Amino acid sequence: MIEIEGITKRYDATTVVDDVSMVIEPRTVCVIVGTSGSGKTTLLRMINRLVEPTSGIIKLDGADNRSLPGYELRRSIGYAIQGHGLFPHRTVAQNIATVPVLLGWDKARIKARVDELMTLYQLDPEAFGPRYPHELSGGQQQRVGVARALAAEPNVLLMDEPFGALDPIIRTKAQEDLLAIQKRFGTTIILVTHDMEEAVHMGDKIAVMDAGKLVQYAKPAEILAKPASAFVETLVGASERPFRLLSLGRVRDAVEKGSAEGEAIPGDASQRDALAELLWSGRPALPVKGADGKPLGRVTVDGLVKRAARPA
Amino acid sequence: MKAWLPSLLRLALVVLLVAFVTNPGWFEPLLKPLTENNAPVIYNQGSLLTLTLLHLRTVLIATIAATIVAVALAILVTRPAGAEFLPLSRSLVNIGQTFPPVAVLALAVPAVGFGEKPTLIALFLYGLLPIFENALTGLTTLPANVVEAARGAGMTGWQRLTKVELPLSAPIILGGIRLSVVISLATATIGSTVAAKTLGEVIIAGLLSNNLAFILQGGLIVAALAVLIYDGLSAIERYTARRMGREAE
Repeated sequence: MIEIEGITKRYDATTVVDDVSMVIEPRTVCVIVGTSGSGKTTLLRMINRLVEPTSGIIKLDGADNRSLPGYELRRSIGYAIQGHGLFPHRTVAQNIATVPVLLGWDKARIKARVDELMTLYQLDPEAFGPRYPHELSGGQQQRVGVARALAAEPNVLLMDEPFGALDPIIRTKAQEDLLAIQKRFGTTIILVTHDMEEAVHMGDKIAVMDAGKLVQYAKPAEILAKPASAFVETLVGASERPFRLLSLGRVRDAVEKGSAEGEAIPGDASQRDALAELLWSGRPALPVKGADGKPLGRVTVDGLVKRAARPA
Repeated sequence: MKAWLPSLLRLALVVLLVAFVTNPGWFEPLLKPLTENNAPVIYNQGSLLTLTLLHLRTVLIATIAATIVAVALAILVTRPAGAEFLPLSRSLVNIGQTFPPVAVLALAVPAVGFGEKPTLIALFLYGLLPIFENALTGLTTLPANVVEAARGAGMTGWQRLTKVELPLSAPIILGGIRLSVVISLATATIGSTVAAKTLGEVIIAGLLSNNLAFILQGGLIVAALAVLIYDGLSAIERYTARRMGREAE
């Protein structure tokens, strides 16, 4: 659990982060969204003390984050940044091993962990381990960057626009991979982005920041349904709102009785994908199949349209 | 044919240089036309090999000392605590470069006596600037997100310096050392005016006795050394730049 209590950061006369308080539950993904200059990155960097706050306290599992020297604290917290920041003079395996080496793990344990993470990220340890970062594609570099952040099994992972430099197709894949790994390790992730789409997709909770202040901190559905201010509403995007709301739900939860013609859509696809498929194929209903391939029922345009309406 | 031609030329130069300093007698007929009145063709007051080795030793010692001081100074002024010393260090190093080595020799002799010492002082001061400026460039133009990642991973200041900042600046620092070495190789010759044992001895003897063959052999050995060492250091620089993922220009 991460408790942020009355955190303020001032540079001379400018207040970058203004009295922010929030609690991030363990094993969840918290996305901090805001425009550039909203203080979101500064807030993130105060958690691992790359930036020291002017006032306020941040507690990690109840302990003040100033109870350890900064470098020791940072070894216990994963940190991944935009453009990965891999060490160009070290091999992929050495990059991933950075924090375990700093912590003084023995060689066998480091190798086992590096191999595990590389395998998890679909990078063959034999083939990619000895390569240098500039020999990898952008998507592979990004995966190595996240693997490096996760190497010492941190409970908390901080990510500063980790997918910012990726093209849309690789970005979607990277987001899925991250969510899968988050579930597997139970890591608490705090992710900074300016992309509301990414926030809605990734976040268990979303914190919206504007001009240093925390404007709203709530579940994605609530942010979409009840934006706390005009700023949040603009950020959500009025024309995108219903589709973002649908993207939060699974087809499984919108199934109605009956059957329909054509190819079935899997139950764990998003309702937004189902609506898109319906509209595109010009059909009023789609059959739905479960993970085992058995038919579950159908989804209809009318049913989905009702779900896209503003919740009461 | 293009690919191996430079290597072949270098190899030929090495063979020629080694042959000349070990057996200068072989080349007597070539240099003979440059002398008058049956003057000696090959320098006869000391072995060319010994002088070449002493010349290299002087340059090596001065360069190592200049590298240690210049890099240490560059590290100091790029730390937050030392940033205010940057203008001062710059001026000091610039003075070292603009002060003529001959004047340094003249000033150093009364203090430390004749011989190798004043030459080392002159070469050291003269060699500081390129190394310092390059080290400064290297340490201040590191990719920001790499340095940020090093901090975020929990490296201490010292670990960041030794594991990330210095290795990444190595190719640029090496470039400074290369410039400094080549300047020192040429400048070391004037050390012989204050009785340092360098190849300058051969050139000065030639000037004093109006013997063109002496001047030429001293000058050519220094030139060959400079070309070969410049080439060798460039190759090391390219290799480290590739290792650091930075392509050499």
